[in-house]
Amino acid sequence: MSTGPVLPTTAGSNAPPPPSTTETVTVTIDGKVHQVAKGTNLLEACNAAGANVPFFCYHAGLSSPAVCRQCLVEVKGQPKPVPSCYTPVADKMEVQTATPKVLDVRRQMLEFTLVNHPIDCPICDKAGECMLQKHYFDWDGKLARNDGIKVKKAKVVDLGPTIVLDQERCILCTRCIRVCDEVAGVHQLEMSKRGDHELLGTAPGHKLDNPYSLNTVDVCPVGALTSKDFRFAMRAWELHSTPSVCTGCATGCNTDVHHSRGRIYRLVPRVNEQVNKHWMCDEGRMTYKAVHADRLVAPMSKSGGGAVEWDKALDDAARLLRTVLDGSPARLGVVFNAQSTNEDLYALSKLAFDHLGVTRAYLAGRDQGWSDKILVSADKNPNTAGAFAVGAGRLKTLLDLANDLKSGALGALLVLGTDGVLVGDKASAAMPLDRLEALVVLSTHKNAVTSAAHVALPLAGWAEIDGTFTNKLNMVQRVHPAVPAAGDALPGWDALSHLARRLGATMDFQTAKAVFTEASSKLAFLKGADWGRPVRSVQLRFANSRG
Amino acid sequence: MDNTIAPSSRRVVIGIQEPNDLDAPELPTDPLPLNMGPSHPAMHGTVRMVVDVEGEKISSVDVQIGYLHRCFEKESEFATWTQVFPYTDRLNYISPMLNNVGYAMAVEKLMGITNQIPERAQYIRVIVGEISRITDHMTCLGASAMELGAFTPFLYMLKAREWLFELLEEVCGARLTVSYMRIGGCAYDLPSGFAEKLRDIIARTREVLVEVGKLLERNRIFRDRLDGIGIITQADCLQFGITGAVGRSTGLAYDVRKDAPYLVYDRFDFDVPVGSVGDNFDRYAVRVEEMRQSMRILEQALDQIPAGPHMINDPRIVLPTKAETYNSIEAMIAHFKIIMDGIHVPAGECYSYTEAGNGELGFYLVSDGTGRPWKCRVRPPCFASTSILPNLLKGLFLADVVPTFGLINMIGGECDR
Repeated sequence: MSTGPVLPTTAGSNAPPPPSTTETVTVTIDGKVHQVAKGTNLLEACNAAGANVPFFCYHAGLSSPAVCRQCLVEVKGQPKPVPSCYTPVADKMEVQTATPKVLDVRRQMLEFTLVNHPIDCPICDKAGECMLQKHYFDWDGKLARNDGIKVKKAKVVDLGPTIVLDQERCILCTRCIRVCDEVAGVHQLEMSKRGDHELLGTAPGHKLDNPYSLNTVDVCPVGALTSKDFRFAMRAWELHSTPSVCTGCATGCNTDVHHSRGRIYRLVPRVNEQVNKHWMCDEGRMTYKAVHADRLVAPMSKSGGGAVEWDKALDDAARLLRTVLDGSPARLGVVFNAQSTNEDLYALSKLAFDHLGVTRAYLAGRDQGWSDKILVSADKNPNTAGAFAVGAGRLKTLLDLANDLKSGALGALLVLGTDGVLVGDKASAAMPLDRLEALVVLSTHKNAVTSAAHVALPLAGWAEIDGTFTNKLNMVQRVHPAVPAAGDALPGWDALSHLARRLGATMDFQTAKAVFTEASSKLAFLKGADWGRPVRSVQLRFANSRG
Repeated sequence: MDNTIAPSSRRVVIGIQEPNDLDAPELPTDPLPLNMGPSHPAMHGTVRMVVDVEGEKISSVDVQIGYLHRCFEKESEFATWTQVFPYTDRLNYISPMLNNVGYAMAVEKLMGITNQIPERAQYIRVIVGEISRITDHMTCLGASAMELGAFTPFLYMLKAREWLFELLEEVCGARLTVSYMRIGGCAYDLPSGFAEKLRDIIARTREVLVEVGKLLERNRIFRDRLDGIGIITQADCLQFGITGAVGRSTGLAYDVRKDAPYLVYDRFDFDVPVGSVGDNFDRYAVRVEEMRQSMRILEQALDQIPAGPHMINDPRIVLPTKAETYNSIEAMIAHFKIIMDGIHVPAGECYSYTEAGNGELGFYLVSDGTGRPWKCRVRPPCFASTSILPNLLKGLFLADVVPTFGLINMIGGECDR
């Protein structure tokens, strides 16, 4: 039997890193003098100074092995161009990033890389967001001088439950190996053989199956590693990207939702050094699937005989709740949910505590699950911190709810979000919902609770709304609507406002921002939080230019 | 003072000139609002005029453009630089090649590759451009003559236009939606036997011009409706920004090909005809003479055109051949990037202008360094000429609207964009 979400007593393991030292050195980059923090990687210093040094094997979140030789620059006093990703800046260093020699070396390295690269762009998942394509077009731009036979390697290597490898496309940058080593903390990938026969792979009999394996697909500069989930599903350049936050657990990894024509195709991590850095877990990436599965798309009313219009459903809900309220207000219970946004929770608290004087409030949410010291939290709810803060000590557990239901203390229940409430038959037996005179449920999905409800109202999901979640570090993070709401679904604060007006309360929120603004003036944990600006989704084809 | 104004006299009528040769005294009449267009045979390419007439005389005209607005400029911001070419076809759709050339040259100017365009491509641009200028003027004059009742010259001119359209069809596969130019040159080389066919067509077109001239230029009906009607002064041209044949009919000898030579126009011997009065007949005569001059240019260009490539040699700009694309990864990537991301045009802005059928066709382009225009503004020459119409038509007879408007040659696709 679930007890609902629990607020952690201490902050999680992802506390912000301490600020770097302030000692600087003087570096001359392309003739201009710059002050750079001591120990900075030369590649980062150059690009921060406005130079455009290309790279394959370097990654801002990983160590640098200097294997691709694409970031070569000239340093005064050095006999040969040096790999800038592997060179720390030194005082009085003089760097040239675009001399004819550097450009020539860059072009030659690309020519080498392309000699054995298969002509796969039309069937390659990475086409359109491929670093090899970009660098060739930016730095080479010459047609082939070589029409020899390319080295043949395996095209389809099943590396594990999530990943397929095409060894011909691999440019041997070793980023994926380092992701497993340095982020997931397991050494599962390795290079074998040498020269143009070098191969990426797992040890015989072993699989790439760590919980962070899909990060290898993100960091792969070409289409060698492809996600089984995304493979051949959609052309990358057709996708639109909207910033969001993962709702899989209390960590709140920052994500980009990649979607097209109202459908989500994948989630990828968005860099946030204080939360998830460059990464997210495989489980979190799959949370998008629920957005399109088993959704409650229309308001349902038992007295209306099934799907009804919003007006009818709201009238029915208000009438049922009013009957119980007029009899005995203490018999109305309200269920908050740690899956809801701060805005929905605030709207419910305003309706329940300020207007209806509810005394019985409960907090539902998903059960605790597995966790690690990297990103995954045991609390599988994105907004437990926000829910506790909004509830301000008035929220009881699901155990209390079950007891109150059994004892008959509750005559009516208003449920915002059904996660954790009576999932499955066992719980149904534990929570005798059929004794209620009024069960009004707002839910994103169809489930046992919505079927038991007298009135079920469809709720827009996290990918469809504007709102904020509070993660376990008490950081208030914003989600943006990426896809249109399923069917007739409305955001929770909107549906609750309509319901409140029918119950005689004055709640006239028009936008999520209005709810947030009011909430942040009243709730301490939202003080100083900024709603931010509206974003337009950007088509990946033009992601680096404008939307 | 009585402030009430009778509904019939609510419109203020200013500056009607009394025609001197009218025998009958002016009879007082109420202004009658009359609607011409947008669907009207003489309202080329959907334009609407709300004309207030007093009797036969026009007291005021409200020229309403915009019926052919297609968001060309905004659409261009969502297309790659190359994908804009089909949109330019639909500007002045009687001479699409000239728009193609104007846009290609603007992008090339922004990229700084103007002097790298192969000579053959420049000659091809001149040739197809001058052919288009002839088809443009033919359509304008033929249609205007037809609207004045002279159907035969219209058919003769369209016959000649058809020869030229068929030749263009051989070059690029389309009569009108040509999309023949590319950034860096043109899509294909000229087909074999092109020069002979063009010389033959020029000879036959000259005969057509003579024939049409005989039918029209001493025709009393035609002359009476053009001579001295719709006079535009040089000051008007400067004030309204009028260029092209309409501007030259006033004696203003401004021709971009002469005054700011582009492509290889400085290598040809041709004259810029100008009018002296600025009336409808001058606009007719200037266009006829311009067609003759275009044919002179064509003949010289055919003599001079060198062999060689028709596209610039830069894999970042030119699509690789299919054989290369399917057989080498370099060409495959180049093809992919040019199609998907577009040709990279360095950040900056430029104004580039050419002599199109109706005058100075300007493109003001702004690039933010990506594969798409940040802004693609067109200076449509006939927008300027159209804007003088309310002043020009005021005081004329209703019947003068047709030849005056016809010889201004407002093209909806270009004016409304």
